[in-house]
Amino acid sequence: MNRDESRNELGILRIHKNVIASISSIAASEIEGVKRVGRDLKSGLLAILGKKSSSAIKVEISKIEEVKVEIPLIIQYGYNIPEIANRVQENVRQALEKMSNLSIKEINVNVQGIERG
Amino acid sequence: MRFFTVLGIVFYAVMIMVIGLALIVFAFNLLLPADINNLLSYAQSSNHSRVVIGLSGALLILISFSFAQVILGKFQREKTIAFTTSSGQVTISLSAVEDLIRRLAGIIPEVKELRPNVVANKKGIIVEMRVVLRSEANIPELTGRLQDITKTRIQEVLGVDEQIIIRIHVAKIAHDEKDSRKKKDFEHDERSTIPFSGYGRA
Repeated sequence: MNRDESRNELGILRIHKNVIASISSIAASEIEGVKRVGRDLKSGLLAILGKKSSSAIKVEISKIEEVKVEIPLIIQYGYNIPEIANRVQENVRQALEKMSNLSIKEINVNVQGIERG
Repeated sequence: MRFFTVLGIVFYAVMIMVIGLALIVFAFNLLLPADINNLLSYAQSSNHSRVVIGLSGALLILISFSFAQVILGKFQREKTIAFTTSSGQVTISLSAVEDLIRRLAGIIPEVKELRPNVVANKKGIIVEMRVVLRSEANIPELTGRLQDITKTRIQEVLGVDEQIIIRIHVAKIAHDEKDSRKKKDFEHDERSTIPFSGYGRA
């Protein structure tokens, strides 16, 4: 399943995985101490090819419409990683719930590296 | 194990077996170089077979690329420190911890270069560091300080209670070029301040 889908009396509302990834990316970047959202091989190659919006955030939507998000992060040097990760998880959860009314199952943070701010 | 991983493993096993069999057949003289040549010539003769061979090559590259990504991703996932919060799991890549330790070289001026290697196992977090020191450094005092700073920094930043073992290997004691250059300049200045100092010599 590629999209989260809900139906009302007028029709179907679909939210693409990329939208969830974008919201997560912006919400994660808002937290002080987050240098940037990390990349994987695929998003790195797409970025080289000029696709700026490509992020390595993985989104899974279960059959019961529960969302699982995996966010790779690069943290700024000097910040406490568990604290930053916790704040990112909270901010992403709030942003996704506010913007999409989705039920969030898990927000997994993967700290890939540390860079000077 | 995911279906694609199993498929990749089976594919590679079959390919290696085919290559092995071909080598055995060749060793027993059952396959002559002329036969290989004929086969290759036949394959190259028609456009249809060339297209099939080209597409097979592209498919092999794609399969290898995807398989390598799966394997490397798996290795990367294994090399992490993980803990769970109320919202989900947090994994910290060991290379991130290495980045963090590498930054410590900037804090301690006597350390010229620092190459960390971090391993996490049942014993705890094991940090192995290869350091290059500046010549004026007192090694026992400095390494002790470096161990303390590294341990405190890891505990502070990662917030882990696990045991942290820090092993330091002093790989080189570097001669500080800046200091030596300053000394040379100073000597040169001293010499140049004595006017006509070289004129008395025969």
